[in-house]
Amino acid sequence: MADFEPRIVTFCCNWCSYAGADGAGVARLQMPTNFRIIRTMCSARVDPEFILRAFSKGADGVMVLGCHPADCHYIGGNYRARRRVALLRMVLEQYGFDPKRLKLEWVSASEGEKFQVTIVDFVNTIKALGPTPLKKEAN
Amino acid sequence: MGFFDKLFKKDDKAKAEAPKEEPKAAAKAAAKAAPAEAAPAPVADGPVETIGLPAADLGELLPGAPPGGKFKLAIYWAAACGGCDVSLLDTNERILTIGDMADIVMWPIAADGKEKDIAAMEDGEILVSIISGAVRNSENAHMVKLLRQKSKVVVSYGTCACFGGSPALANLVPGEAKEILEYVYEKTPSTANFQADYHAGAPVVPQTSYQAPEGELTLPVFCDTVKTLDQVIDVDYYVPGCPPLQESISQLLKAVADFAYNGVPLPPKGTEIGITTKTLCEECPRHKENARISHIYEPHEVDIKPDVCLMDQGILCLGPATVGGCGARCTRVGQPCRGCYGPTSDVQEQGASMFTAIASLFPIREDDGIIGEDEIVKIMSEVKDPLGYFYAFTLGKSLIKKAVVEGGQ
Repeated sequence: MADFEPRIVTFCCNWCSYAGADGAGVARLQMPTNFRIIRTMCSARVDPEFILRAFSKGADGVMVLGCHPADCHYIGGNYRARRRVALLRMVLEQYGFDPKRLKLEWVSASEGEKFQVTIVDFVNTIKALGPTPLKKEAN
Repeated sequence: MGFFDKLFKKDDKAKAEAPKEEPKAAAKAAAKAAPAEAAPAPVADGPVETIGLPAADLGELLPGAPPGGKFKLAIYWAAACGGCDVSLLDTNERILTIGDMADIVMWPIAADGKEKDIAAMEDGEILVSIISGAVRNSENAHMVKLLRQKSKVVVSYGTCACFGGSPALANLVPGEAKEILEYVYEKTPSTANFQADYHAGAPVVPQTSYQAPEGELTLPVFCDTVKTLDQVIDVDYYVPGCPPLQESISQLLKAVADFAYNGVPLPPKGTEIGITTKTLCEECPRHKENARISHIYEPHEVDIKPDVCLMDQGILCLGPATVGGCGARCTRVGQPCRGCYGPTSDVQEQGASMFTAIASLFPIREDDGIIGEDEIVKIMSEVKDPLGYFYAFTLGKSLIKKAVVEGGQ
């Protein structure tokens, strides 16, 4: 499994985490290239269906990044997002996935470094877990 | 540890916890219920004729055989309980005029029609095949494929055929067919003793083929995955519901009769018959207070107020994620919606819609800014078995259709 390169979908909220990711780029911080960012207006915009769809299409891991608690641009979006993610992790576990494949983290607009650390950590976690257990559907 | 062992372990835990919570809930419920009893006119007793979609007016449609003679109609059940077949009789006296309109060439529950009779027909000779039930074994798959070949129109009838229904929940057993058969024939309390007493060491399990002196005997092969009807064959119309309501059936009947008698073109392919464009909440007469809840009750734990939204009373109801059309029959009588009509046409995942709704129902606490994720997990653990509850009817059509095994590749 040494050459396993995970495919990771990252949802970043427009106001904090996407700017944080931008900051990481501007600061030229080194990080693995296994992730694809999808920008949403808020972490609460990430419908659980998006996350399940990512997994069903073969993502090895999904990250939801939002503003720190009490920092949400829309006052309470991240509180809802964290409740949904908690519920989804229970569901993924029921399906048989390791719930570590879904990660929620708070990254503010000034935290380019935290973005980098989060990505590195998550890529390592997924590399340790191996590829997604979801088999291609045989019809 | 197998899937089934886990089930029983969870069950024990739940039993141990239950007595702690129940007296409190009951006391609270009694206190809450007192003023509600005085409230006038419970909705359940209101007029019932306005519920949901109206029945189609069949009027003078069925005066005898259609101009071109009786057409052929087939009704088949795959992995279904038979409730859908019985629901067809909900057309009351109309069922007799269906006899005027069509020859029922196959209806395993009620009429004598054999597979070989269908196989001998020309392609497209049957006008309508109404198929209920999910596809569970090789016989189901063979029969629905045969009926598809011989029919002009195939109707996916009922929730199991449309979304997988309860049979599709078996897809959550990671060991697939092997684990299910092993459990059923060797481990259930009723069979374990039998196998130990009479077949110790060599349990009796059904074989799919057996060479008898008179020839080969076969049984259908039990599939690993339960599929919805449209995952196996091409389907023209969908009629969801567990079972579909009489109003839906009358609309289906009207479409077919209009076509047979008056040459009115059939509805476009893929039409879902008997649903609205909005969710069940739009049809539910209960008053929504948008209350926030911190504890989820089973319906039997509380005295349900007759006119207040069930979710506001802490009862899990799938109304916000379920498409309307049934007229909220269950919630009108105080039973939460379990989601048998499936998701709205704008989303694929009924369960995911429900996660969104339920997560917003738990209040944002004053200390929400400083509590950790562990605390959030504790809050959300109020929802027991989210996968089983929110996908009770639609697992066969969900994005992830089966259990997976980490590191099992």
